[in-house]
Amino acid sequence: MLEVLELFDRPAVLHSIYLIGSLILFFIGLYGLLAKRHLLKIFVSIEIMELAVYLILIAIATTPGETAPILSDGFTAFTSMSDPIPQALTLTAIVIGVAVTALGTSMAIQYHRLTGKVSVGEMTELKD
Amino acid sequence: MNLITKLLFLGLSFTPAATFFTWDGAVAWSLFNGITLSFDLTPLSAFFMLLLAIGAPLIAVPMLREKSDESAYALYALLLLGMQLLLLAGDFIGFFIGWEMMTWSSYLLLLRSPRTDLEGAQSYILFNLASAFLLLAGMLFLYSITDDFRIQAVDGLLTADKLVLFVLFSLAFLIKVGALPLHLWVPRSYDQAPDLFSAFLSALMSKMGIYGLMILPLLFPDGFSEISGRFLNGPVAGYVLAWIGVITATIATFKAISQEDMKRLLAYSSIAQVGYIVTALGVGSSLAIGGALFQALVHTLVKLLLFITIAGIILQTGHRRFTDLGQLISRMPISFFGVLIGIIGLAGMPPLPGFAAKYLMYVGLIEAHWLLLLAAMILASTASFVYCYKLIYGPFLGHANSPEAKTATEAPWQYLIPQIILMGMLVALGIFPGWAIDVLIDPVLIGLNMTPIGAPTWAQLSTNYGGYDGVVLMSVFATVFVLITALFLLIRGNMHRAASPYDLSFCGEVPTADTPLHYGAGMGRELRRVPLIGWILRHTTTGFYAGLTRQTQAAAGVIGTLYGSNPQTWLLLAVLIFAVTLTIQSVTGA
Amino acid sequence: MTLHFTPVWFIAVPLLLAFLAPLWVRWRLLMPVLFSAQVALFVLALSWLPTVRIAPILETIVIAPPLGIHLHLDAIALLLVALFSFAGAIVSAFIWLDNGAAHLRERPAFILMLLLIAGSNGMVLTGDIFNLYVFIEIVGVSAYALAAIRRDKTALEAGLKYVIVGSVAAIFILFAIVLLYLQTGQLNIAALAQAFGNMPAQMQLLIGLLMLIGLSIKAELFPFNFWVPDIYRGSDPEITALYSGVLVKAFLFVLFHLTFILLADPTVARNWLMALGAITMIVAELVALRQNDLRRMLAYSSLGQVGLITLALAFASEATTAGALFHMVNHTLIKVLLFLLAALMLRQYASLKLTDVHGLSRTMPLAAGLFVLGALAVLGLPPFSGFISKLWILKGFADVQTFWPVALILTAALIEAGYYFRWIRVFYAPTDALPMAKIEGEKTLNYAPLLVIAGLLIVLGVAPFLLEDWLQQAAQALLGREALLNAVLGVQP
Repeated sequence: MLEVLELFDRPAVLHSIYLIGSLILFFIGLYGLLAKRHLLKIFVSIEIMELAVYLILIAIATTPGETAPILSDGFTAFTSMSDPIPQALTLTAIVIGVAVTALGTSMAIQYHRLTGKVSVGEMTELKD
Repeated sequence: MNLITKLLFLGLSFTPAATFFTWDGAVAWSLFNGITLSFDLTPLSAFFMLLLAIGAPLIAVPMLREKSDESAYALYALLLLGMQLLLLAGDFIGFFIGWEMMTWSSYLLLLRSPRTDLEGAQSYILFNLASAFLLLAGMLFLYSITDDFRIQAVDGLLTADKLVLFVLFSLAFLIKVGALPLHLWVPRSYDQAPDLFSAFLSALMSKMGIYGLMILPLLFPDGFSEISGRFLNGPVAGYVLAWIGVITATIATFKAISQEDMKRLLAYSSIAQVGYIVTALGVGSSLAIGGALFQALVHTLVKLLLFITIAGIILQTGHRRFTDLGQLISRMPISFFGVLIGIIGLAGMPPLPGFAAKYLMYVGLIEAHWLLLLAAMILASTASFVYCYKLIYGPFLGHANSPEAKTATEAPWQYLIPQIILMGMLVALGIFPGWAIDVLIDPVLIGLNMTPIGAPTWAQLSTNYGGYDGVVLMSVFATVFVLITALFLLIRGNMHRAASPYDLSFCGEVPTADTPLHYGAGMGRELRRVPLIGWILRHTTTGFYAGLTRQTQAAAGVIGTLYGSNPQTWLLLAVLIFAVTLTIQSVTGA
Repeated sequence: MTLHFTPVWFIAVPLLLAFLAPLWVRWRLLMPVLFSAQVALFVLALSWLPTVRIAPILETIVIAPPLGIHLHLDAIALLLVALFSFAGAIVSAFIWLDNGAAHLRERPAFILMLLLIAGSNGMVLTGDIFNLYVFIEIVGVSAYALAAIRRDKTALEAGLKYVIVGSVAAIFILFAIVLLYLQTGQLNIAALAQAFGNMPAQMQLLIGLLMLIGLSIKAELFPFNFWVPDIYRGSDPEITALYSGVLVKAFLFVLFHLTFILLADPTVARNWLMALGAITMIVAELVALRQNDLRRMLAYSSLGQVGLITLALAFASEATTAGALFHMVNHTLIKVLLFLLAALMLRQYASLKLTDVHGLSRTMPLAAGLFVLGALAVLGLPPFSGFISKLWILKGFADVQTFWPVALILTAALIEAGYYFRWIRVFYAPTDALPMAKIEGEKTLNYAPLLVIAGLLIVLGVAPFLLEDWLQQAAQALLGREALLNAVLGVQP
């Protein structure tokens, strides 16, 4: 039993699990993006896809046992720390993602107020 | 202000003349990447510059009568600039720049006519751009082989390369001169253009196509025969070209006969006349090329004269169809003489120089032993008598068929001055065909490395196959003409007393004032019942090009459905393409 | 006092000015600031030309590459930055002088336009791939918001569609960047370029495809450009001028910059990209034939030109690349001109349908004339600069005896003529109707920025040698992988 748990501590296995999980998340997002008609659901799906990408980055770049990349309380050297760059990247990307989603949602709400429509399929105003 | 603009415009129309007389030495303009444009006046381009120098002011003078129109003047300026550039250009880039400027400025001028419809405008610009792009393709091909854009003889090429070049260039210029079956735009645009601009199109711009075709013997010296050998006594490549010319001439002549509109008739006659030039170019011998140049000169003068005269008639009566005109001889006598001289030149009858031109071309064909072509050409040029007759009979003789035709007066002096000048030029050329050969044509032939035709005296045209003396010929004709006119005037007194034309009656019917008694009405209609000619006249290329347009539109419609309005479809396509490409590439392991 | 010039200014100045927007609002200086900022950047770019021509400027931020972020100002980056700020200056001058479109002269539009320019400059300048992603998103967000800035039905619809498509494209790009980082542990583009060849072939393919599709959506290549006509139709023409003139060019640059630098042998991608370009061009020109709305027609024409530029850039010979860069410059000028004209026409006519603008030349002669000029230039007819750039591209193909692109480009130009001249003919169609009354505030001054472009199109057409050296250096900079790697990473042992 313990061996099985230890197996999960091995980086390769752990990374595969993270990867598979994130990819499942990604495809859920993709499904929502392509199949759902509601504008907000589409934005949620996009957000899920983005999240999956962040998760892949964070998960694969970190190995179990590493500490946070912060120099404090006795840690004075960059040893056994996780790579700080993916975390910085992810934080930046999250901020950007939120901005885009916020913009999209606000537009969707305004659009709904103006036209009463919420479905992408009904957006045919621009077709001549 | 108005007057100043007009005078400026008139001055502008003399720029080709100024270029012709003052251009000395080459001007170079470095463009980019080692491409340097050079502008130089060669004997060949000087000949065509001369045509432009004669034509431009003669068209500008009647234009002065109209309301001053700055944008039209500006477009004319661009048009003249483009034509001069293309004539002066020593390399294909400069040639193309001039060619294109000519194309789009003339298109914009064409749009200024209220009669221009969408089909006319579109076919004009698309055919001309197709011609331009073929030219561009040709010059790029030439550049890819020789690493040079200069217009000069190419040698040391593979036969296949030469053929490609020959086909690209001749297609480009054949579109411009309106050879069949690429002529769709010609009748439409000559018909719909402003009346005086039609003169410009037919007399001057079609000559630029001829100039382009004349570049071919420059590129392939030895009269094309090095491209693909010889047939009988002429080049094989030229034989094809010659047939295109003759077929164009024949069919266009019959088309012209069946037209009921003066400008359309002249448009088809332009196609036919230029067809002769194409044939002569195909022969490629010095006699034939000399004939082609002579024909280009005569055709320019004749078409200027006819289009300006007919513009005057349209101005005075407001009618363009033969059925609406008639009996103008007494009301517009100078115009009558204009058309008379014009059609004699057009038909190539002695004593006017059209005869000399045709004579040289015929002799060229005989020399090449291309007798079938000669027969076809004589057929076409004989048939052209019919439309020439129609052109003089329709408007001037018979009975007036509309109130305007009954009350019309002679065209204003701005129209008459060019007519008189042109008539004088044609008669003078008729008297002195040798002068034209000696002074105008031989330098060009020498420039093309061909044997000059030569003339013993300025009055004589002479070839190895015989010739004639212009002074003698003109004297005989003038004497006969004077005698007949005098006779006519003597007995006219009795004829004058004839009663109204409506006193006629036939088959018991008494015609009333609105019965079209005019012989021009329906003239040429019977032609459709002649077996082969009828078949030709019933078939046009319009359907083909309309079908082409329809098919393109349909294809556009089908592809256009891809551009839907649902973002999910767009994304689905992107994701699918991603997945498919990834799979294929992974499987094949590329 | 000497100022220390750095390429950061191209990004920092617009950002700073955008943040100070409340100040400009209070002083009523919004439009003058917008205009003069772009002009200043343009002048700055030109003043740097002599320096950059000798050697590219490398500006490190904090730490030296490959660890730190750096900006790389070489001939091509300078060319594009100058082009973007010039286009920005023209558009802002137009908006400033124009009395209509009040929503474009308020604070949000001001900020977003500066962000758009700053982001585009950043995309061109940056040497770090994550930084590139950040700039792509800055540009993206400002573009989405600008599309919807009119806040009516059509604008919001365009904005929403743009957000959806754009963020999915961004996810593709982000995914590729994440994979690149996980494989190599590098973010510096030059360092990535060295490591890229050592990756497993499968991974290279996956990353390449993700990047290609993400950037193709943004750079409007077929079959990823279905969104373009809708967005161009819904947004204000002043904004679409920036999309077509600035945004697409920045993305095209990124696409080809990455292709040429990541792949040691760019011929791998050549056929793919050339095919994409050729299909984009032909399809767009064909579809444009049937468009009955001026803005949609211009959108398709823009796609067609993008296809042509892609076709020429992908061939990766120096002559076609220089020609394509020149065509980029020309296309920006022309499309800014045409879209701004569309803005003026829209003010007068309210609808730009083919049937509604019959005989427009009688009401707006100058606009019709400028439209003709723009159409001739975009078709590549002399003596306008579009001819020179097309000739340059064609000559580049003829140099190496490759004729199929020549045939395709000429065919496409013929089709393009088919619809442009149809519109011209409609503008000049004879009508019995009297000219419409001029709308309020229409003045000749509105045309001043457009006349500047028209003049430039003629000058560059007659004297293209003015830009020749710059363009050739830019082409060398774009294609010179080794030179760039050496410049950034130092000469490698």
